[in-house]
Amino acid sequence: MAQTIPIRTAEDPVLDDEGGGTGTRRRRRRTPGRGSTPASAPWLFLLPFGLPFLLFYVAPVAYALWRSLFKIERTGGIYGKPTEVFAGLDQYRLVFQNDDFISSVLRVLGFGLVQIPIMLLLALGLALLLDSTVARFKALFRISFFVPYAIPGVVGALIWGFIYSPGLSPIVDLLGKAGLEPEFLSARWILWSIANVVTWTYTGYNMLIIYSALQAIPQEIYEAAKMDGASNWRIARHVKIPSVAPALVLTGVFSIIGTLQLFTEPIVFSKIATTITTTYTPNMVVLSAGQNNYNYAAAISVTLALSTFVLSFAFLKITQRKAEM
Amino acid sequence: MTILRRTSHRHRLVLAGPAVALSLVLAACGGGGDDDKGTSAGAGSAPACKPSDGPVQLTFSTWVPGMEEVVKLWNADNPDIQVKVNSVPAGNAGTYQNFTNALKAGTAPDLGQVEYDSLPNFRLQEGLTDISGCPGIAEAEQKFVPWTWSQVDFNGSGGVYAIPQDTGPMALYYRKDIFDKLGLAAPTTWEEYAAAAKTIHDADPSQYITFFSQTDPNWYTGLYWQAGAQLFTNDGDAIGVDIEGNPAVEKVNDYWQGLIDDDLVAGNLQGFSEELYKAWNTGKVVSWVSAAWGYSTIRDNAPDTAGKWAVAPMPQWDAGGTAAGNWGGSSTAVLAGSDHPAEAAQFALWLNTDPEALALENKLGGLYPSSVDGLDIEALQQGVDFYGGQTIFDVFKQASAGVDPSFTWGPTMTDTYAALKDGIVGALSGNGTLDDATKDAQAKTVASLEAQSVPVAD
Repeated sequence: MAQTIPIRTAEDPVLDDEGGGTGTRRRRRRTPGRGSTPASAPWLFLLPFGLPFLLFYVAPVAYALWRSLFKIERTGGIYGKPTEVFAGLDQYRLVFQNDDFISSVLRVLGFGLVQIPIMLLLALGLALLLDSTVARFKALFRISFFVPYAIPGVVGALIWGFIYSPGLSPIVDLLGKAGLEPEFLSARWILWSIANVVTWTYTGYNMLIIYSALQAIPQEIYEAAKMDGASNWRIARHVKIPSVAPALVLTGVFSIIGTLQLFTEPIVFSKIATTITTTYTPNMVVLSAGQNNYNYAAAISVTLALSTFVLSFAFLKITQRKAEM
Repeated sequence: MTILRRTSHRHRLVLAGPAVALSLVLAACGGGGDDDKGTSAGAGSAPACKPSDGPVQLTFSTWVPGMEEVVKLWNADNPDIQVKVNSVPAGNAGTYQNFTNALKAGTAPDLGQVEYDSLPNFRLQEGLTDISGCPGIAEAEQKFVPWTWSQVDFNGSGGVYAIPQDTGPMALYYRKDIFDKLGLAAPTTWEEYAAAAKTIHDADPSQYITFFSQTDPNWYTGLYWQAGAQLFTNDGDAIGVDIEGNPAVEKVNDYWQGLIDDDLVAGNLQGFSEELYKAWNTGKVVSWVSAAWGYSTIRDNAPDTAGKWAVAPMPQWDAGGTAAGNWGGSSTAVLAGSDHPAEAAQFALWLNTDPEALALENKLGGLYPSSVDGLDIEALQQGVDFYGGQTIFDVFKQASAGVDPSFTWGPTMTDTYAALKDGIVGALSGNGTLDDATKDAQAKTVASLEAQSVPVAD
């Protein structure tokens, strides 16, 4: 998608402005039968993306969908022979009766409601600071904000686990000497300790997306605003932020998807904290179900994928409608 | 916007064809793949198990420290049967999941370490090879402590699915120096243990008699085992689940719930974590009710406390009793799909009966053998320096005799354990009780068995 748009507009920018007529003409030229080279070319160009996409995305999803329609039947007693029989939507009925799954979804939704706005506000703030004319050492700061994202998730979580751990952490120790007794891994705080790690990891990444959008704003607009007497604050508020709104929407969608997939941090923390259940997040529910029941795990995966899709799509629709208003 | 719509539409058309074709292919794989690997065909005559011609390569996944050294002994003497060791994390820490996946994919190792409590689970998944027809197996039974053999032959219900490796009879490890300083003797009953817990915590509020691990439901099950609980029954036709409302279970729950409520056990230390080891090293946790193999866990992870620990029999519910629980203990299983079950079984038998191998496994890996002759090896008769020279294995030998051999595991133990773990999270954080945990474990175990289409007794 991203490849085709710039090529077409650069090649012949007037065509699109003219609308319907030229569009249909171009399309007709591409229909098969009128010269085989143009018809096969797009297929070839699609191959490097399309083939891995099929093999590693579409195929596993299709396979999970297929497996989710079966269940185990056993003949010949306790250790009898298992066969997989078609069960329709039986597994899905169980998924929606699974309280652990539902509470894991609610848990990450609550997590997202708090964590995503904080993270995106931070990312926007950092991007605006980097973009401001008074900022120094921009390259250095840009890189240092981004570094947490470059650290593998497990390693980051292990380091944070060490920082949170009451027996080992020098920071908990210092806070203790100051009379505070933070319990980062307690049932009450663990979710927000995880939120802190996620924010630490992804703020820089989101900042970079927003920052790139800021860089794309033409300088002329700033000059015009300045000539009208706008302060830096007003420029940020009324020029910059509205211009990067699409980038904010994009990072918002990524964050929703990421939140529903939360896995690494809670799994790593479950080795040191006694407060994380095996069904803490939806992905952990899938893992746990997969121990004995692949079909059921597949049904949970499909349900999770669908709800992620619906949620991201709804978010896009809502934000788009707002933009149109 | 119009451009976007059009392009995405085209993408969809391009993708639709191959996607449908591919899903059909996959569908074909999914439907037929699981039918024809029946290696665990239930009771009846022993399946044929012929040695292979020519040299054989075997793979063996285990998490016993030092197993490479033991296997070197075998490889030196058996040029035609070479074994390659994969060191993997403990079973419930990920290896069982990998076994399950590898079994489905047909890439499982020839041999795998499987704890007794997980054997039924793997048998249910058709992950074990019945080796009863392999050379030497028929005569092997008398070489092992009887209850361990009944774990691998499923109480003689037909077939042999693994070779017993070690057992985990439980006893009390405690910091003798600290107990002595506080004027405490090793508690002989659970009542005395609770009193000691209070004395210890009162003397120093940052000090606890022990920790309640959330990640070790098999440890907690060992405590049920000692109390005489039978969580499962198997009459051959159906599995009975008796966790919720089981009097022995409730007795153990009440006891530990009391210690948790009174803040007499540390509830924020996870088993086998760096935090726990630090607490051992610094004397913040001063005892551990654990299995025989635990002697090397303390030795290797709390080196600062060398010479200060001692081992006493497990505290009793009834004064003067001798009951002990069992935690863990493994078998060496020939996994389904192995091309050389005869050689694999031969190696497994050697690994768990050869005196030289057993001595090394005890020294490096802390294993307490399942083999009858293994209990007499010299290493188990000597004093252990880390425990002030105490001949600690005498205590475990006595404990071993006090383990109820009829204890039966459920066939979906991973789900039972998961439910227990989740319930313990609630109990430790005050959002539930241990009784809630066992109630949940009962319901989820039954649901899991039904999902596997295993008959459940009422």
